[in-house]
Amino acid sequence: MVKQISQEELQKIVKSVPMLSPSASKLLQLTSQADHDLVDVVNLVRNDANLTARVLKIVNSAAFGLINTITSIDRAISYLGERIIVGIAVGDCAGKLFEKELSGYESARGDLWKHDLRTAIAAREVVTQSGADISSELAFTAGLLHDIGKSLISDYLQGSVTDAVEMITAEEGFDYLDAEEKLVGFDHTRAGYELAKAWQLPNELAEVILHHHEPSNASEEYRTLVYAVHLGDNIAMMGGFGTGSDSMRYKLDQQYTDYIRIGSKTLATIMLNVDIEFEKLKGSLTGSGEENG
Amino acid sequence: MGKIVLGVGDYGASNSPGDEVKTFALGSCVSVIFLDPKTRTVGMVHVALPDSSINKAKATEKPGYFADTAIPALLTQMTKFGCDKRGKGMVVKLCGGANVMDTNDTFQIGKRNALAIKKILWSYGMGAVAEDLGGNYSRTVVVSVSAGQITLSSPGKPNWQL
Repeated sequence: MVKQISQEELQKIVKSVPMLSPSASKLLQLTSQADHDLVDVVNLVRNDANLTARVLKIVNSAAFGLINTITSIDRAISYLGERIIVGIAVGDCAGKLFEKELSGYESARGDLWKHDLRTAIAAREVVTQSGADISSELAFTAGLLHDIGKSLISDYLQGSVTDAVEMITAEEGFDYLDAEEKLVGFDHTRAGYELAKAWQLPNELAEVILHHHEPSNASEEYRTLVYAVHLGDNIAMMGGFGTGSDSMRYKLDQQYTDYIRIGSKTLATIMLNVDIEFEKLKGSLTGSGEENG
Repeated sequence: MGKIVLGVGDYGASNSPGDEVKTFALGSCVSVIFLDPKTRTVGMVHVALPDSSINKAKATEKPGYFADTAIPALLTQMTKFGCDKRGKGMVVKLCGGANVMDTNDTFQIGKRNALAIKKILWSYGMGAVAEDLGGNYSRTVVVSVSAGQITLSSPGKPNWQL
C-alpha cells in the first residue's frame, strides 16, 4: 500500500528520470526570454539532426494538410511556430514521462500528455483573450510542463485513489494536493519542482510547476504567467481532460481576477478554441486520443 | 451488442436492445439523456457550452456542442426511431455539470450549462425526472438501451445509478 516518500527517495526518483537533451534545454532557456529571436531558435534546431528530422516529419504530416512538402527547417519552424517546436523537443526527450500511465491516479497511458497539451493551449488562449501582458508562447510551454511531478509520485500513490477521494469529501477545504501530501509526503507540485531544478529549467517555468495550484504564492514577477497556467489547468479539467482521480478536485485561486481579466463569455470562447486547437495538434505531437468532455 | 461512444458535442440514439450509449469524463459538460418508453429508444447528447451565439459556424457543424442547439438536434435524431418530434412522453435525465470553486461565478460553466439545458427543455414542456449535477468531480456515463439503466462512474467512488 501507500508509503511516505523521504527526501532522499525523491532525489533518487528525480535522478532516475532522463535528462533533457541539450537542444531541448537550450530551447526552453531561449524561448522563455522575452526578446529572443526566431533565428536563434532555427539555429538551435538546425544543429540537432534528430530534432530537425522530427520537425520536418510533423510539418509534412497529414494533420497540417500542406499541398507542397516543406523541406527547409526555417520554413517548417515559421509555419509551425516556436511553441510547437518546443513541444516536439520536450516531448522527444521526456516523452516517456508524459506518456506514462498514472496508475496512482487511475489515469490511462497518454492522459497526462493530453491534459498537458490542453492546459498549454488553454493557458495560451487565456493570455491572448484576456490581453495579459506576458508571452503567450511561454504560457504554452509552461502549460506543457506544469504537471510533470505527477509522473514522479504516481507509482507511490498506487491504490490510494479511494482514500484520497474520501479525505477530500470528508474534510472541508481539503483538495487533492493535501491528499497527496498526506498520503506520500509530497504533492505533485513539490516533486515537479525538484525535477525542474535538476533539469535547470528557467525560473519562470520552475515557479509555474511549483505554484500552479496556488499562484498567489508565486514571485510577483511571474505571477501572471502562473495564473494563466492555473486557469488553463482548470479549463483542461472542466473540458473533461484531467488525469483521473484528481480531476476538478483542486481549489481555484480566487485572486486570479487581479491578474487576468476574463468574463464568462470569454471563458466560453476559450473553451471552444481549446477543443478546436486540440483536435489539430493532438495527432501531430505525441499520443492519440479518446474523446472526453 | 454495440457501443455508441459520444465525444464532446456528439449526440446519438439507439433502439437496439444490446447497445450501450456512453460518454467519458464529463467535467463541466452536461449529458442529456432521453428515454422513450414507447419506442424503447435511448438518446444522449454531450453538451459543452450553454449558448451557440459565440460561434454560429460551430453550432451548424456540431449542434450538440451548445445547449440551445443540442436539444433540437437530439429530438430530430430520435424521430428516426419513431419518437415524437417534440419529445412527448420521453423521460429526461441529466448528469455532469461539475464546477470548480469560484466565488465570482465566472468559472461556473457546469451550472450555466445545466440552467441553459433546463430552459430549453422547458420550452418543449419537458423536465428532468432525475439529475446528478454539480460537485467537483468528473463523471463517465453508460446507458444500457435494453434496461434504460444509467450507470455513472468516477475514479475513487463506487459506481452509482441514476
